[in-house]
Amino acid sequence: MNTILSKRVDEVDSVFKRTLPMVHSSLISAYRLSEVEATEAERDLEVWFHRLSRRGSGAQVPPKSLRVSLLAAACQYGRSFQIWRLRGSPSRDKSLNDVLSREPQEMASDLAHHFAEDS
Amino acid sequence: MSGRVLRFPHKAVSSAEAQSAALRVLATPIADRARLAIHLALDEPETLLAVCGRLRDQLESSPASVRDDADFLYRFIEKPKRAIGLFDERDYFLGETALIGGTACRILFRRDDARRWFDRAEAAFRHTLNAVAEWSRVAYQRLALRLEEHQLDEVLELAPSLVASFEKLEMHKDALKCRFLEAVALKEGDRLSEAGDLFRRICQDAETVGSDKLLAIASYNLLQIHGFLGQAEEAMVEAARALPILRRLNNRVGIAKLHWGLAYLLRSQGRLAESLDAFRAAQTEFSEIGMRADVAAVHLVLADVLLELGQDSQATLEVLAALPVIEEEKMVPEGMAAFSLLRESVRQQRINRQALRDLHGYFEEIQS
Repeated sequence: MNTILSKRVDEVDSVFKRTLPMVHSSLISAYRLSEVEATEAERDLEVWFHRLSRRGSGAQVPPKSLRVSLLAAACQYGRSFQIWRLRGSPSRDKSLNDVLSREPQEMASDLAHHFAEDS
Repeated sequence: MSGRVLRFPHKAVSSAEAQSAALRVLATPIADRARLAIHLALDEPETLLAVCGRLRDQLESSPASVRDDADFLYRFIEKPKRAIGLFDERDYFLGETALIGGTACRILFRRDDARRWFDRAEAAFRHTLNAVAEWSRVAYQRLALRLEEHQLDEVLELAPSLVASFEKLEMHKDALKCRFLEAVALKEGDRLSEAGDLFRRICQDAETVGSDKLLAIASYNLLQIHGFLGQAEEAMVEAARALPILRRLNNRVGIAKLHWGLAYLLRSQGRLAESLDAFRAAQTEFSEIGMRADVAAVHLVLADVLLELGQDSQATLEVLAALPVIEEEKMVPEGMAAFSLLRESVRQQRINRQALRDLHGYFEEIQS
């Protein structure tokens, strides 16, 4: 692997690791996944995020610009998982219902906003 | 509410293996690929990423084969509906192969096909997580198509907004490409001084972002502008800057257009024999990469130069070579009157020079 490519992989890795705590807490706290379920999701998200950074559009942007897409993917995962688990019925957990009623992109934008404030 | 869990198969091809997997895919005849899909790991996202990257790189050197490859991949991914990769990856690959196919069609002059592919790309990208960036890339291709159709006002109106989108998305190379369209529109609208200024800024920025490709194409356009202004020396300097870069990139479309630009310059200086050689060099490049429409366009210009040299029978042969392609490819709906006049005049063995010039004048506009 050439140096530029290797540096890029490192940058993508770094963005993923820095975003991971927020991804984890969203999956656990907002979408109510278990620790095991969240960890499994994060493994897939990591593979996907690396490939996202090599797409036609992703390849030229700084990896940190792709953070919001990573958060959107995490939210979509959490939402799809819970909707499947609930088989379309509402949960007894009101705050989970509130989260599931929101679009993943919208949730992700809010999270990215918090991330920007925290950094 | 309804929903489903997306299951995520483990990847069988690593990113390190993907380049050789892509080579295997592209070396396999299209007719055999679906049958050998498992062996070729054709439904693996790493393979598809690498194949798409290679196809994008080959757009300028072999657009016809890229179109066929993209068409195959799109159909392969589309039906039967295959579970490819994670999350939005199937939709992304559908969109990407459609975008590549559309771009190849645009380069090959197949405008209706290009538009159909861009529609497919937009539809697929709608389901991806980074849709705005992907849509912006489709919008760029549509704008390039408008430029080729000589819709200069529309290009000048829409380009700044798209540049702003790309800048916001931090896609600086795409923003630069978009400004490039704006500069070409200025050039086509005879606003040569503004176009020259913009191309010079693009050259500087292309060097900054390390885009040899854009640098070479901007240099080629500067060459043309110098040519139009009769500034032969400056034009040769730009040609000398662009040609080695284009050769290194194997950008054969760019090389062909460079020869084309030089040929016009030589012709404007009355160096007709040299211009014939340069036009033929352009034609050879176009022919080798399957750009039939451009080959036909060069035939017409060659005919005009040959008439100027008093070689009427050679000129007739050039026109005869061009006419069937123009008709077959339905290339100039707007120039049908000139086409008919020219065909009739060839039948009478006396080329109608005005019809010839009207027809290739139309080509000049759409080629640049």
